[in-house]
Formats: sequence, C-alpha cells, structure tokens
Amino acid sequence: MAVAPMDRLAPARRRARHEQPRAGGRARRNRHLLRLPFYLLSLTMVVPFYWLVITVLKPPTELSRIPPSFVPESPSFVNFHDPEWSAERVNPGHLQGVFQRFQVEFGFWRFLFNSVLVTTAITVGALLICSLAAYVIAKHRIRGRRVIFLMIIASMMVPWQTTLIPNYVIMRNLGWLDTYTAYIVPGLAKAFVLFFLVQFLQSVPNELIQAARVDGAGEWRIWWQIVLPLLRPALAAMSIFIVLAEWNNFLWPLVIVQSDEMANLPVALARLNSYFGAPDHQGAIMAGGFIASVPTIVFFLIFQKYFTRGIALSGLKG
Amino acid sequence: MAGPVPIGGRLRRVPVDRLRRYGTSYAMLLPFLALFAAFLLWPLANSLYLSFTSFDGVNPAVFTGLDNFAELAGDARFRHALGNTALYVVASVVLGTLLSLGLALAFNGPSWPHRIMRTLFFLPSVTSSIALMLMWKWVLFPSEAGLANTIVHWLGGSTVPWLATPSLTIPILVLMSVWGGMGYGMVLYVAGLGSIPEEYYEAARIDGASTWQRFRHITLPLLRPVTTYVVVTGLIGAFQVFEAVYIVFRGTNNIGGVLDSALMIVPYLYDQGFTHFKLGYASAIAWVLFLIIFVLSLVNLRVGRAMKEL
Repeated sequence: MAVAPMDRLAPARRRARHEQPRAGGRARRNRHLLRLPFYLLSLTMVVPFYWLVITVLKPPTELSRIPPSFVPESPSFVNFHDPEWSAERVNPGHLQGVFQRFQVEFGFWRFLFNSVLVTTAITVGALLICSLAAYVIAKHRIRGRRVIFLMIIASMMVPWQTTLIPNYVIMRNLGWLDTYTAYIVPGLAKAFVLFFLVQFLQSVPNELIQAARVDGAGEWRIWWQIVLPLLRPALAAMSIFIVLAEWNNFLWPLVIVQSDEMANLPVALARLNSYFGAPDHQGAIMAGGFIASVPTIVFFLIFQKYFTRGIALSGLKG
Repeated sequence: MAGPVPIGGRLRRVPVDRLRRYGTSYAMLLPFLALFAAFLLWPLANSLYLSFTSFDGVNPAVFTGLDNFAELAGDARFRHALGNTALYVVASVVLGTLLSLGLALAFNGPSWPHRIMRTLFFLPSVTSSIALMLMWKWVLFPSEAGLANTIVHWLGGSTVPWLATPSLTIPILVLMSVWGGMGYGMVLYVAGLGSIPEEYYEAARIDGASTWQRFRHITLPLLRPVTTYVVVTGLIGAFQVFEAVYIVFRGTNNIGGVLDSALMIVPYLYDQGFTHFKLGYASAIAWVLFLIIFVLSLVNLRVGRAMKEL
C-alpha cells in the first residue's frame, strides 16, 4: 500500500517543491524550456485524434477531396447512417453508414452489445473466481497451497499465445466455436489477478477473519461479507485492467468467431478494414472506431483517479 | 513481476473441525484451479506435444520428432520474423521508456496544465486499439487525401507510399507503439516520482547538489523498480505484437506486408496456424515465443536480485 498515502500527500509535497524560492528566474526558465519539447510532443496526440473526429464528420464527397479539409465544411452524421443510401439504386455521393454495413440484426449495435456482454461477464466472473481462490491461498493453511501458488506465478511467464492453438482445438471439439461461452469461459482464470489479490490480502490483518470465525461465520460468508469488501481497492484496480484487456481483445475472438453475429467490436472493425482502399469509405470506418472507443474513454474520464491509482498500485506492487 | 513471496507465515491455527474446513477451502479453490488446468496447463502441455507432430487440425496428429524445430531453424521467413521482432522490440522499448520518463518528469505536478497533458498522453491507452490502428492507416494513406502525405506536400515533398515502403515499416510500427504506450509508462513513472521522499532532495540541495546531480543520484536510482517494470512489461508486450501488423500491414495474401517487412513472431504463428492450418508447426513457433519470454522473465529475476545485492 505504498501508493495510498503517496496519493494524498504527493500533490502538497509537489506544490511545496514548486513554490520554493529558486536561485533565480533563470533556473525556472530552464525548467520550462526543458518542458517545451514535451508540450510540442502533445501535438502528436491532439492531431491524430482531431483527424479521426473530423473524418467521422465529413461526408464521403468531402473525404475524397485533395487536399483534405481541416474543418469539416458540411458536418453530418451520414457516416453512421445515411438515409439517402439504398441497396436498390446507386446514389452518387452516398455510401453506407457504419450502421448499414453489416447484414446482422441490429447492425453495428450487435457488436457493441457483444463487447459489453463479454467484457462484463469476464470482469465479474474473473474477480469472483480469483478472489475466492486468493482468499484460500492467502488465509487458509491448506496442504499444497505453496505449490499451487508457485505454479500460478510461474504461469504468468507464459505468453497466452502459446496456448492459442490447443485452446482453439478444445473449443472446436466442445462445439463452442462462435459462442459466448468460448469468449468468456477460457478468460476467467487470470493468474495475474489472483497473484495481485493474494499479495493484497497478505497485507490485510487476520484479526477480522478470525473474529468472524469465532462468531461462527462460515468460510463462504467470510469471503462474501468480509474479504470482498476488504479487497475493494484491489478489485477496482484489477477491474480496470480486465475491462481494457477484454474490450480490446482481438486475436482470440478472431480465431473463435465465424459468423458476423458473434463478432466483438475489434473483429467488426477489422472487417470494416476491407473497405480501406478508397478515401470516401474512411468516414464509416472511423465512425466504427469512434463507437468502439467512446465507452472506454468515458469510463476513463469518469474513473480517472482509479485508473492512475490502479496502474500505480500494480506497477509498484507487481 | 516480483519473485515468489513468502506466504501467510503469521496465520494462527484456529480450533475448528479441520476436515470440514479444508473441504471448504478446496471447494473455494476449485473453480479457479479447474479453469486454470483446463485452459492453461493442459493447453500448454498440449501445445508442446503438438509442436512435435504434423497436426493439421483435421487428421490425427502424427509424431514427427524434432522435424518442426529443424524446419524452423532453416525457415528464412521465420528468421526474418525473429529479426524484425528483435529490431521492433528494442527500438520501441528503449524509445518508449525514455519518453515515458521524460513525460513523467515534465508533467508530474498538480497544476491543471500538467493534468491535461497527462490525460492527453494517456488517451491512447484507453482508446480501442484496433480503432487506433485504422486511424494510423488512414493518416498514412498513400495519396494526398491522407494526413501524412498532405504534410509532406506542405513541406515540398512528393507523395510517399508509407505502408508499401519496406524500409519504413519497422519505423512506423515503432512509432505507433511508442505513441500508444508512452502515456501508460508515464503514469507509472509519475507514481514512482511521487513516492520519493522530498527530504532526500532537500538534503541534496543543502549539500549543494545540482539539478542534474539530484536527478542522477536520487531520482534515477529510486525509480529503478519502476524502470525494471516498464522495461520488462514493455519487452514482453512488444514480443507479442500482432494487431498493428494484422490491421495496418497485412496484404491480401501475405500477412507480413510488402516483402514480409512487417512479419513478426505472433503474426507468423497466426499465419501458419490459421491460414495454412499447419497447427503442429505453429505450435513449435508458439514454444519459441514462450522460451524467449521465459528467458526474459528469468533475466529479470536475476537482474532484480543482483540489483538488490549491490
């Protein structure tokens, strides 16, 4: 827990550092000069994102213009849905919006739904399963826990791609290809999450758990009513990692998904990629990317504090 | 990434029915262990077995001994993929770590310009990675409709076919990786900087240490655990690069782009396994990847221990 006190005190400390009288204005000016390249570097962040957003807003005719416009001249949402486009007749200057491009029920919404469903299920499931196991490994003296824990730590050195092919074969043999089960079940036992939770629990005193045991509470109840609430900061940190990883998961869905219906957002975006050749299709492609990015960006902006704290916690402890 | 931790030595034994409690303990461990065994341990052993076979996904696997590994050793494409990956990994980790540290030093304050900068640089970490790949692909469009070529024209140059120029492939992959990852490293370094006691700096200042000396002898050594973490996770992540190659450089019938200039380990694994259905051969590639990352992790442990003994 090296981070929690730091989080509270660091700003005050840094403020003190900043307000200290310096040898002269020269040192401070030098500091700002040193910062200048990094302010310029931030342009490389702003410009591509700005380019993405204006691309989404430009209609197809404006997109194929050379040189490109930097302020959309007739901003519209036709890249999401173009009412003028129809499958029967050709209407020059009108292309399918991203919601019109997939022949599946609910169109692009379906992929958003798939991504949300899979991400939520894995996050909740993994946190429950891993916290249960972490409680046993950290607080129960059972035979073999050292061996189990060492095995789990060792498995963190295995790149998951090593198990890609056998897992694909397992999914095929079980008939799970192209199902939510194939998305969710293999992603539940996360060694990294278990390791982190065990470490966190070791810094939690045993007294609370002992007291509950003396009061006659069963182990399941202790886990649910005492351990889970104690783990809350660690669970918050881990949920951020899991959500980001699963939201962006691409290679595994690419292997297990066959139909259009079961694609998650990354796989759907990769399929949009086949329209890449022409500039006028970029609006719809970027609109798809925009939809895939907004949920996690909003999630981040709301829980910003927890993001930085969670990353710091994992980095300093892991 | 720390080594094994001593576990729960302080536990006192409680007088409860031992058998019943142990039964509960194992029942609570069971969901994790069952999934862990089914989707990690067993597949791991299975992929080792498959790497000694000529499994094609349809016919039963035929044991072929070390044939796959012998074939890999002589496979020019695989060697090319290894070389590309090594170049990409070293360049992106070195550049990414330096920029992360620089950003953290520049913007670790509580003021709002610093906070905005931190948010801005962190933004790619929370944006859909495939969306970012598509965005880069559009920025690097091979005509003046693309942003990069528009800028080249402003500067008086002529249109560059960015994604079809083999000599630019690795630099572009490194650029995309560094651009997308430096904000994440920055957050780790900012946390590391915040945990350095201010007293050290005050003491150094009283002793007349210059800004550079304070950085060199206080900041850098105390940030070493963070640096190790950033470098090792960066190395491991970079070895597994796939999406950038698959989305940005893949050609119609060649995963590695023009002249295989973007061919890396995992894309090659995917190509052999799921395009050519040489699942045995792809398993051998998977084990080479495993060995590389395993050695890196061991080196990390060894370096960490040596650092502690210093």
